[in-house]
Amino acid sequence: MSNLRIIPRLDIKGPNLIKGIQLEGLRVMGDPQKFAIRYYEAGADELIFIDIVASLYGRNNLSDIVRRAADQVFIPITVGGGIRSVDDARHILRSGADKVAINTAAIARPELITEIARRFGSQAMVLSIEAKQVAAGKWEAYTDNGRERTGLDVLEWALRGVELGAGEILLTSVDREGTRRGFDIDLIRQVSDAVPVPVIASGGMGSLGHFIQAATEGHADAVSMADVLHYNRIGLHEIREAGRQAGLAVRVL
Amino acid sequence: MEKIPYPKAVDYSRYEGEAHAYEAKYGLPSEVRFCVRCVISNQRPNSAVEYKHVKESKKQTINLDEEGVCDACRFAEKKRAEIDWEERERQLVALCDKHRSKDGSYDCIVPGSGGKDSFYASHILRNKYGMHPLTVTWAPHIYTEWGWKNFQRWIHAGHDNLLFTPNGRVHRLLTRLAVDNLFHPFQPFMLGQKFLAPKMALLHKIPLVFFGENEAEYGNPISDTESSKRDWSYFTAADQSKVSLGGVSVHDLKQYFGLEQQDLIPYLPADPYQIEAQKVEVHYLGYYLKWHPQSCYYYAVEHGGFQASPERTPGTYSKYNSIDDRIDDFHYYTTGIKFGIGRATYDAAQEIRSGDITREEGVALVKRFDHEFPERFAEEIFQYLSIPEKEFPQASKMFEQPYMTREYFMALADNFRSPHLWKWEDGQWKLRHAVWHSEHLPK
Repeated sequence: MSNLRIIPRLDIKGPNLIKGIQLEGLRVMGDPQKFAIRYYEAGADELIFIDIVASLYGRNNLSDIVRRAADQVFIPITVGGGIRSVDDARHILRSGADKVAINTAAIARPELITEIARRFGSQAMVLSIEAKQVAAGKWEAYTDNGRERTGLDVLEWALRGVELGAGEILLTSVDREGTRRGFDIDLIRQVSDAVPVPVIASGGMGSLGHFIQAATEGHADAVSMADVLHYNRIGLHEIREAGRQAGLAVRVL
Repeated sequence: MEKIPYPKAVDYSRYEGEAHAYEAKYGLPSEVRFCVRCVISNQRPNSAVEYKHVKESKKQTINLDEEGVCDACRFAEKKRAEIDWEERERQLVALCDKHRSKDGSYDCIVPGSGGKDSFYASHILRNKYGMHPLTVTWAPHIYTEWGWKNFQRWIHAGHDNLLFTPNGRVHRLLTRLAVDNLFHPFQPFMLGQKFLAPKMALLHKIPLVFFGENEAEYGNPISDTESSKRDWSYFTAADQSKVSLGGVSVHDLKQYFGLEQQDLIPYLPADPYQIEAQKVEVHYLGYYLKWHPQSCYYYAVEHGGFQASPERTPGTYSKYNSIDDRIDDFHYYTTGIKFGIGRATYDAAQEIRSGDITREEGVALVKRFDHEFPERFAEEIFQYLSIPEKEFPQASKMFEQPYMTREYFMALADNFRSPHLWKWEDGQWKLRHAVWHSEHLPK
């Protein structure tokens, strides 16, 4: 069994690291580079950078931030936000990213998933899904940082995305994001159990228990977190230690 | 009184070519200017005394100073740099100390919807300042599902609440009249909302009322912020004969539309002599505490599980403010028609002033979302605005076409467009001046 990865998630707007609640009410936290280095040094397994307003503004300006981070951070970096073409993906990978995460553009044109997977390999094509619960056991995929409905069923879209070539799924619960109420375990388990590729649980972590639950009950392969780290509520070391004590296969530093 | 006619077709020639200064409607400034700091334009009307609002009313609009900065931005600057918030908080504590009940009875009234701002106001008054607030709510026209849930979350976070729901038929009729006469579907709601708390204060003998932020945060004259107290003219009137609702006088509402005095009670302002006699004080909490809508949202999530709406509101990017009422979408759509200012402009201007987004981002948001037609609840709203004979035997006769249809609404919209803001070009309406036009961007 591969390691349960611990992945700080850095949402970016313009030059700043930001944080919202349910992807709304975005608050400026500071310089993303400082946070990235801090998390790398504290033992993060990977990092995720998402330009969360790239689709909203039709822009993409993460490459400088990624280039700076890649100079000093030597763990895998996933970058998302505003990637709309193979060229965009190439550009961001050349800037130092190891994988690209795509949501809005993949829903607009699903073949993009296949094009990127063929060109750079499935391992570099992460399908990002923003899921909002619409009924018990049912979620709808959203675009534009949780703003626009698509009518797509999350489970069906995840399966289709993998068929098209996605090698990993970043699964964010819009309802839980930023609330510290815990991951949407039902959502994570349904998707994790259905797809043959790794699933990163995202949205809602507020305690060490939530982290463990995502792996044991949610069957997540990786857990991403933002609020608890950005606001210094819990340290990466504590998270790793809690995982180890719970018997989870976390990387030993 | 004449029947309310079907809106006539507009003369497009008045909207072609260049604008003529004399054609600015509603007393709006003929030259359109945008604040160089936020995205608001000088066409934004200040809060009006709504019960005096009739077809012919002229608007007072937001002031832009010689540097091109609006009063709301100046006030935001003042909030950051000049105001001594610790001193203001001491004043709040003194005010609370003066009124706090010893026996656990209610000592203040907090009006609100249970949205993020009223959630913050009542909760912090109760939990930090030891007050015993009675919250009062003037119901939306038609609740959104999430608005209703957030309202419940507010109450369940530890508040007593009086929910006042006006007579649906009367509310529909007044709203329809406000649409036809003023293109202002929110007016009856605003009347009730402004009057309810002072009137409840009289009824329940609770002399202290806290509203949230001062409207000057959004552009009323900056001098309004020098007092913690709300101007009485917004919520009292001594003489009922001077009151109009939906642009129709009380007299005509009774004579021609079949309304009785009882139907009008909720919409009538409080009696200033009673307010004086009972020493009711109406304060803005925003005078004492530095108001930040985004922080109110965080606070409401933290202390009561407040939820953003599941999708962005039409006409804007936002999911966390003004999300209770299905007719709200239309309120902002109509301000877009009349003043050229849509929902994204209001939201972005506020967030720029609070430092949450940049002006460049705000401009992009306005360009993308402002003036979007609010499709999601449209059919339901047109039904709501219809006055069928079966439900309104007398009032329906006063409309040439009692049923509100999309065609009717759009024809009405065209009648409310001012030629100095809109032009008719290539078969569609376009803004003559928009904040994303390069000449309006700051140097």
